[in-house]
Amino acid sequence: MLLKLQKTYKQHLVYSKLKYLFYIFIFLSIGCSSDNNSSSDDEGYTPIPNPELTFEIPSNFPETTYDLSQNPPTERGFELGKKLFYDGQLASDGVVSCGFCHIQSFAFTHHTHITSHGVDGKIGERNAQPLHNLAFMQDFTWDGATTFLDSQPIIPLTAEKEMNETISNVLSKLENDPNYPEMFANAFGSEGVTAERMFKALSQFMVLMVSANSKFDKWQRGESVTFTDDEEAGRILFDTNCASCHAGSLQTDQSYRNNGLPADPEFMDNGREKVTGLPEDSFKFKVPSLRNIEITFPYMHDGRLATLEDVLDFYSDGVEDSETLDPILRQTDGSLGIPLTSDEKNQLIAFLKTLTDNDFLLDNRFAEF
Amino acid sequence: MRIYILILASIIILTGCSGDSSPNTPEVGNLTLDFNNLIGDNNLTLNSRVYTNNSDETYEVSELKYIISNIVLTSATGASHTIPVEDSYFVINQDGATTATLSDIPVGNYTGIRFGVGVDPTKYPIESGTLNFIPTAEEAGMLWTWSAGYKFIKFEGIYTTTTDEDEPNTFLYHVGSHGATLDNYKEVELSISKEITSTATASQTINFDVAKIFDSINTLSLEEKSDIQVDPENAPKIAENVQTAFSIQ
Repeated sequence: MLLKLQKTYKQHLVYSKLKYLFYIFIFLSIGCSSDNNSSSDDEGYTPIPNPELTFEIPSNFPETTYDLSQNPPTERGFELGKKLFYDGQLASDGVVSCGFCHIQSFAFTHHTHITSHGVDGKIGERNAQPLHNLAFMQDFTWDGATTFLDSQPIIPLTAEKEMNETISNVLSKLENDPNYPEMFANAFGSEGVTAERMFKALSQFMVLMVSANSKFDKWQRGESVTFTDDEEAGRILFDTNCASCHAGSLQTDQSYRNNGLPADPEFMDNGREKVTGLPEDSFKFKVPSLRNIEITFPYMHDGRLATLEDVLDFYSDGVEDSETLDPILRQTDGSLGIPLTSDEKNQLIAFLKTLTDNDFLLDNRFAEF
Repeated sequence: MRIYILILASIIILTGCSGDSSPNTPEVGNLTLDFNNLIGDNNLTLNSRVYTNNSDETYEVSELKYIISNIVLTSATGASHTIPVEDSYFVINQDGATTATLSDIPVGNYTGIRFGVGVDPTKYPIESGTLNFIPTAEEAGMLWTWSAGYKFIKFEGIYTTTTDEDEPNTFLYHVGSHGATLDNYKEVELSISKEITSTATASQTINFDVAKIFDSINTLSLEEKSDIQVDPENAPKIAENVQTAFSIQ
């Protein structure tokens, strides 16, 4: 009996200790957590739901080069990026937005002129490149001047002949805009219009521009499409004559090469040499992806060729020799370029048209209006 | 018994919350790095003083700027404190700010400092915070807009050579990384002896010997080349020289 009583008393003691510890625990929890609460209260902003958007790698594509974990696209980040992309405020004249030179129906490239236009009617030196599958690219622009998608917009934003602005000035315009501060907060969960957020939002919009639904893609994935005789003949010609550079699903090996295009004395654009300073990179430009090539005319870095026929005529008869000419364009008999008959050219063009992805060109998510 | 429990509880509370570095538990301090641009023993004077390099060329400096980044402090115990990326990028400008103020450093004795000259291509702009340095760099003219890259060092002025003393020419060194092909980012490691306290902002002077831009591991002659920008041969030489130019008084 005594033993039992003692045991009960001990139990009571243990319980009371536990009770104290329990209160202490509660106190601790409140004490420490209140710090966190107060800091978010100070910002005076309550985040609103902002679901992440799914990014699916098409089954015929390689891995992404863009680190999506560092900047996962969200509904409101994408929305902000899209608004920024189509906003002329980002340029010094209030007109020339990113979308001014990157028009969706032409796979986000620029038409009606050879090289692209900027503010005050200034004319650039290069042809705006199409935008698609940017999450899979190693570096950007014709000469690879930037290695990261997030920093690419610095170039057009600040180039005198493009948008002619300063990043600081763009940020101050956005801060004073009636809509942007709230959109930035909704996209990133707290208040603040910053350079980082602006570039990340633009990237969120751009990485989702995946073009992977052309007839060629469906053929690659073994979906139920059949090439016509001309398309199939063109595909075989393409594999032997073009695919060493315009390689794989991305339609580019992402290398820099001199394809023998005679240097335009007006620009004397030495291409990749601008970035590396290496004479061996002179007149080399990035091998462009041929996706949507049917509608991304004009062609070449300076847009000097108007049609696909012109391009193939150039490769068969127009390649000019120079020190940095790509060796792949030197034939064993000493001739330059890629020998092609006119029938072969027609077949190649039939194949190239299978690279057009109408689902992408008409995708309403990217549409300005 | 209850007393013991309360004491124990107090200890738990105090130690438990102190890890949050909340404002009522002062355990961090500030450090100002003061970059002192020198030629010989004297402060660099822009635009008026004439200096001579080892190639017997006389020069005046009109502009000297460089980017300091990725600052890490090490303590005697071997522990290190890394300044968060978003607070770790500075433009040092002889004609403007020559200091970098670091805050929220755990108090204690520090024996070493490590920092980058330029922008580490593995961090930029992947790591959060680095893109926010762009406006600062842009305002200081430290961006190559055509390449979306940084100028790590910007050094400009006029010079004359022994053969033509009457005709001053301009010189211009802009050094940065060349796309992904050439990385000119350098790290500098120096010994210091600095106590960080929570009561006062500590200050550490770091000397930068401007003459070493021309003459250190490599010798650069202005007559040979006075405009060095995207230059895969000479830009790395300047970056190597600059890496040796920092010291503690």
